[in-house]
Amino acid sequence: MKNIIGLVLFFCCCCCATFAQVAPVTELGEVNLKHIKLKDSVYTTTQTVLKDSILIRNQASLTSLLNFNSTIYLKENGLGMVSSPSFRGTTAQQTAVLWNGININSQTTGQSDFNTINTRGFDEVIVKPGGGGVVDGSNAIGGSIYLENNITYNTGFENEVFLKYGSFNTFGVDCKTAYSTTTKSFSLGVSRMGSDNDYKYLGTDRINKNGQFNSTNINSNFGFKLGEKNTINLYSNIYDGKRNFSLPTPNALKTKYYDFNTRNMLEWILKTNALVSNLKAAYITENYEYYPNIDRDYNTNGEVGSLFLKYNLDYRLGSLLFSGGVNYNQNNGEGSNIEHEIRHLGSVIFGMKQKVSKRFLYEINVRQELNNAYENPFLYSVGIQADITSFYKLKVNTSKNFRIPTYNDLYWEGVGNSDLKPELSYQAEISNVFYLPNASLTVTGFYNAVQDLLLWTPDVTGVWRPGNTENVNIYGGEALFKANKKIGEQTVNVSATYAYTVSENEKTNKQLIYVPYHKLTTSVGYNYKKLSTYYQFINTGEVFTTTDNALEHIVNSYMVANIGMEYNFGKGESRYLLGAQVLNVWNESYESVLNRPAAGRNFNIYLNLNI
Amino acid sequence: MNNRLKLLVMFAVIMLLQNCTSDDREIVIDNPPAAGNYANGIFVLNEGGYTYSNASVSFIDAYGQVYNNVFFAVNGRGLGDVAQSMSFYEDKAYLLVNNSNTIEVVNRYTFEYITTIENNILNPRYMTFVGDKGYITNWGDPADTTDDYVAVLDTQTNTIVNTISVAEGPESILNNNGTLYVAHKGGLGYGNTISVLDAAIETVTTSIEVSDVPGNMVMHNNSLYVICAGKGNYTGDETLAGFFKINMATNQVEDEIVFANGVHPGYLEISNNSLYYTLNADVYTMALNDFTLPTSPLFTTTNENLGVLYGFKIINENIYIADAKDYVSNGEVLVYNLQGDYQEGFNVKIIPNGFYNNN
Repeated sequence: MKNIIGLVLFFCCCCCATFAQVAPVTELGEVNLKHIKLKDSVYTTTQTVLKDSILIRNQASLTSLLNFNSTIYLKENGLGMVSSPSFRGTTAQQTAVLWNGININSQTTGQSDFNTINTRGFDEVIVKPGGGGVVDGSNAIGGSIYLENNITYNTGFENEVFLKYGSFNTFGVDCKTAYSTTTKSFSLGVSRMGSDNDYKYLGTDRINKNGQFNSTNINSNFGFKLGEKNTINLYSNIYDGKRNFSLPTPNALKTKYYDFNTRNMLEWILKTNALVSNLKAAYITENYEYYPNIDRDYNTNGEVGSLFLKYNLDYRLGSLLFSGGVNYNQNNGEGSNIEHEIRHLGSVIFGMKQKVSKRFLYEINVRQELNNAYENPFLYSVGIQADITSFYKLKVNTSKNFRIPTYNDLYWEGVGNSDLKPELSYQAEISNVFYLPNASLTVTGFYNAVQDLLLWTPDVTGVWRPGNTENVNIYGGEALFKANKKIGEQTVNVSATYAYTVSENEKTNKQLIYVPYHKLTTSVGYNYKKLSTYYQFINTGEVFTTTDNALEHIVNSYMVANIGMEYNFGKGESRYLLGAQVLNVWNESYESVLNRPAAGRNFNIYLNLNI
Repeated sequence: MNNRLKLLVMFAVIMLLQNCTSDDREIVIDNPPAAGNYANGIFVLNEGGYTYSNASVSFIDAYGQVYNNVFFAVNGRGLGDVAQSMSFYEDKAYLLVNNSNTIEVVNRYTFEYITTIENNILNPRYMTFVGDKGYITNWGDPADTTDDYVAVLDTQTNTIVNTISVAEGPESILNNNGTLYVAHKGGLGYGNTISVLDAAIETVTTSIEVSDVPGNMVMHNNSLYVICAGKGNYTGDETLAGFFKINMATNQVEDEIVFANGVHPGYLEISNNSLYYTLNADVYTMALNDFTLPTSPLFTTTNENLGVLYGFKIINENIYIADAKDYVSNGEVLVYNLQGDYQEGFNVKIIPNGFYNNN
């Protein structure tokens, strides 16, 4: 595994050589009010946008998309089952998932199940590593994932159909219709997917029993421009997922899990030359039911409704951009083991950015939490961006971030602990961005000290209780590489990510469980006229599954590769794509969670029509 | 280099990169004991993590040598998901694998696989034998409070020949000359009875009411001693723990001790006319003829930095305590003498929960 670092360096040098030196200056985008606040933080940190063909060519689950295209480590209990991330060496609850700017991590568990998010319902998935507490709020310690719907105008009537069918009776049907004029925009998308998911466990005579799942995701977005300055947007999303949980052993009792989530948001944007005012009112609900025996109606459940009110004002004064915001969040939750509670959370944000010169920018953002349930941390994010030369940019950022205790932590009957404090994270990162002709390379080093980690640990009699138990020190490096080269009618795209992560318990100096030291993702696309072919692979290092880092309990490192080919039958603007994929093409036998084997080589075909 | 060659080189590098995976996990297989079998020693059952199928068996021989992963070493596969308990019958060992809903039958000396019992087994807990029949407590569907049962096993065919419906959460089971005592610790809910079964006619004859959450039972002459933990404060309905002495001739409670409010004892063992029980990380003892609660512990495990006290057994005048640590690391066995002096520790595997003397 140590060889991997050397190889990555070699790989990068090789690519630099490939796309030899004819350096055009890559302009730094102006700081202006076109960018919404959330995207402004990218000036001193890094983000990756996944959209268009990346979304089409990857599988529909957020797990698979991020696994193959980001540094995030994902563990899933078998294909389609419960899935959680480790972003920059952090725990599953330390990645914030935001739906159009609203944090949708479960209020009961604190995390998002990445297999309950269908990426086909979104125009962009943005991956932002590092602390984002000031802007994204709780849980943005390892990083944030943004699920974005773009509201477009003046595009007329557009329809898109995406059909996919493959091994294990896996299907996906996505229909999207959109209509817009210069002042009105409407879109509706319905996605349905499912699978029998009865794949064979390689090297055994067992199959994945009771692993079938299906889900429906509906999105609709409205936009209205009222005059030159005002816009009203309405976003809605419903997710309905039904999964049986695959059996850990052949004779185990069959269980199932239902998710039902709704998200609605009304947004009012006012833009003038000097200011942007943005008011969001959102109401989201999350609901789960777990059936310990599929043959019976008995279930345990949880339900939380959350109201978000967010106001933000950006004001430009010369080279300065001031931002101020107020957030209010109310959670109203209960469950079969959770006492009914309503909690109120508030925060005030202030920020400023200044573009001191063409080559230098700094930003300072602060946030004060306001609530009566637990400590109110004061958060900050301070960063600079400097264009040192035409091909080298430096970004430095330091921030303090937090994660609030969940409903389970606070209100679980009998063991919930109302004395919990929020987790705090102090971090710093330095990014070096190199612009090469047709290519860019970002190399980032980071350090993150997480204090008062919220964990459930057993007491001496074996009863699990939540507490602020551990401190964790995380450091590591990331490299993001992108290249694109056109040779005549051929185009080659390469994108790769690599992460080296050390995440140590301060007391024991042991690596956190399910955090690999190494992860590499690579995708290569080749396009000739209307024919495209692509190959992607991930190489994930071994992970410990025990806190004493015992080698006999590790989950092995693995390499999984997918290959695909597609042809565009369309003429001009229209797109009629017919594609086929081989997933896990080398038939690698692997698992990302102990005793949860993944699928071997499997196949699918897809059709994508834009009318 | 021309462009095509460069692309080719890049492609070659990518193909090379993808194969950088490290060594595989290796389960260390200890050589079998010099004697060639697993006799004259103590088996330690490591239940393993829930759903991870990494239950295992360790063996401590008479010289204090530990042999881990015995089942895997002999049979070339894992034991299953959450090994709950083990029982011996003649030359066989029956391993009850709770979340796998199986009972693995092996030779108790060679540990060679004989068969797997899986029909009519659902959440098996503990087992005892009367004549050539085995009796296995089963929770059934843990969320169903009405489907709990005792399965009757024909040891000659290793098949379940009958099931006896009992109250919810049957846990420990004990045989007194053909009368079976089943403690209803509770599954989804919490039990407070001991069922009495006649093994000959395979029916429940009576039920004895005790305190909440009856756990271990031990026998001495004609007395049955039962420790009841009471419901913990985390249940939201805390109740008092109790110690019961039951006359097995009349099946009546003969004596009863009530613990103080908030005190919830754990495991119970008997040795040398004394009862030994655990309370949090401490071990207490009292003489059978005294039967009053001691005011101070016999010893505490504080020095050994115990994580979770998850198993307790007295074998050959030594007290064996299973330390499950934090449930997500390899556990340890702590050995004390009957005076409470720490003797030695043994490293075992994930979540040790029980000790079985294989003499």
